[in-house]
Amino acid sequence: MGVTCVSQMPVAEGKSVQQTVELLTRKLEMLGAEKQGTFCVDCETYHTAASTLGSQGQTGKLMYVMHNSEYPLSCFALFENGPCLIADTNFDVLMVKLKGFFQSAKASKIETRGTRYQYCDFLVKVGTVTMGPSARGISVEVEYGPCVVASDCWSLLLEFLQSFLGSHTPGAPAVFGNRHDVVYGPADTMVQYMELFNKIRKQQQVPVAGIR
Amino acid sequence: MADVINVSVNLEAFSQAISAIQALRSSVSRVFDCLKDGMRNKETLEGREKAFIAHFQDNLHSVNRDLNELERLSNLVGKPSENHPLHNSGLLSLDPVQDKTPLYSQLLQAYKWSNKLQYHAGLASGLLNQQSLKRSANQMGVSAKRRPKAQPTTLVLPPQYVDDVISRIDRMFPEMSIHLSRPNGASAMLLVTLGKVLKVIVVMRSLFIDRTIVKGYHENVYTEDGKLDIWSKSNYQVFQKLCPPGAWRFSHGNSKTSSGGVGRPGGKTQQVTDHATTALLHYQLPQMPDVVVRSFMTWLRSYIKLFQAPCQRCGKFLQDGLPPTWRDFRTLEAFHDTCRQ
Repeated sequence: MGVTCVSQMPVAEGKSVQQTVELLTRKLEMLGAEKQGTFCVDCETYHTAASTLGSQGQTGKLMYVMHNSEYPLSCFALFENGPCLIADTNFDVLMVKLKGFFQSAKASKIETRGTRYQYCDFLVKVGTVTMGPSARGISVEVEYGPCVVASDCWSLLLEFLQSFLGSHTPGAPAVFGNRHDVVYGPADTMVQYMELFNKIRKQQQVPVAGIR
Repeated sequence: MADVINVSVNLEAFSQAISAIQALRSSVSRVFDCLKDGMRNKETLEGREKAFIAHFQDNLHSVNRDLNELERLSNLVGKPSENHPLHNSGLLSLDPVQDKTPLYSQLLQAYKWSNKLQYHAGLASGLLNQQSLKRSANQMGVSAKRRPKAQPTTLVLPPQYVDDVISRIDRMFPEMSIHLSRPNGASAMLLVTLGKVLKVIVVMRSLFIDRTIVKGYHENVYTEDGKLDIWSKSNYQVFQKLCPPGAWRFSHGNSKTSSGGVGRPGGKTQQVTDHATTALLHYQLPQMPDVVVRSFMTWLRSYIKLFQAPCQRCGKFLQDGLPPTWRDFRTLEAFHDTCRQ
């Protein structure tokens, strides 16, 4: 597991999501990246049950339960700005049992699917973010395998991102900045995906702005 | 049996030849005697002259006869061995059965070889002395007598001394931790962890570095049974070793002598492991093995910025998807493999 940067690629003017993804993958292939199967990251939202809220007197917190095909045996449970729990996939079954405390939000499932590319020590995953039946945006994940400290290789990652994202290169993810010299872990990637999904969900609430 | 007969025949011819020589000498001395005596007293001058000439002629004829006889015998004796440059070993050339025991030709071959070897060794020592690190004062002045003695002693250093040297180096570089173990007898194995960048397994023979394997910080360096894994390579191209360290790397190791023109042998070969192997070939100083280890570690430490330092020539981080993996031996500056000339 190396350092990973997850970002959103805006849909090109006058193009559909599918066309923009194709444009991006073609660019990657031109660069010399090799196709290596597919990937999938999904996220389901739970909110604390009303019955437990009243007695505690606190506002409802959202919990996200996520899966990543890169870690097929694990399940990630995150709070916004909170801790991240990494559990076995059985955790899903446990969530059903915990219905009294956590209730699944209706039609909240959001996921990104796409192709996995390998270029030297870089792993690039370009995915289409879908919510229900409709495509909402494009996610780009770049992992640099050999390095484990985010601050060490951010400049290097940035240079690589620029080589195929051009002007749409993102800034450093928030998880990179807050801890210096700490080994990067899978949970950090999941936090980035969670933030990306939240961003895309909010964009959907303002239909005028579109996906840009 | 045939050999014995041959020898006896030869001996007979020899003795005959010797007597022929004696006869020749006596007849020659008779000629000179005759000349010395001059003409004998005879009645007439004519008679004196005739007798003298006849006598002289007789003597000359006998010299001629003896000489012919000697020549005939010398053919029987066969060629005497010449004064050979190989001295007595040159007599091996007389062995008639060349096909069965080609000792003589082998000997000549070996002689040529050793001559050539000496010549090349001289050239090589001259070159190596030129290119070695100017870190010790005594390396040029070491006499040829001392050198063969110095080498074996560095190979049999006591393990305690090796431990001391390593622990001193360990203390020298705070960002580098060195773990020493001896899983296979006397030879030490080092697991060097450099910051949170990489791990290096160094196989030592006494204080000589035999082999290095570079892996990522988060890669497994142990085999299933808990021993250091010195055979498998890293999963990442940056750390990998894709081709064995060839001689061209050695010759190009010195930043001063390297020239363009030599292409990369494979596709993607600019790996840290390869470069580490190059470095251990570069830092050779048989007289002071601890300096070698220290120089190597100093060089290795410069990889702490493997992912942070852009190439000093092109100013970029990536080239063909790889960061600048080369570190100059003198300045320790970062370069891409193709930018380093």
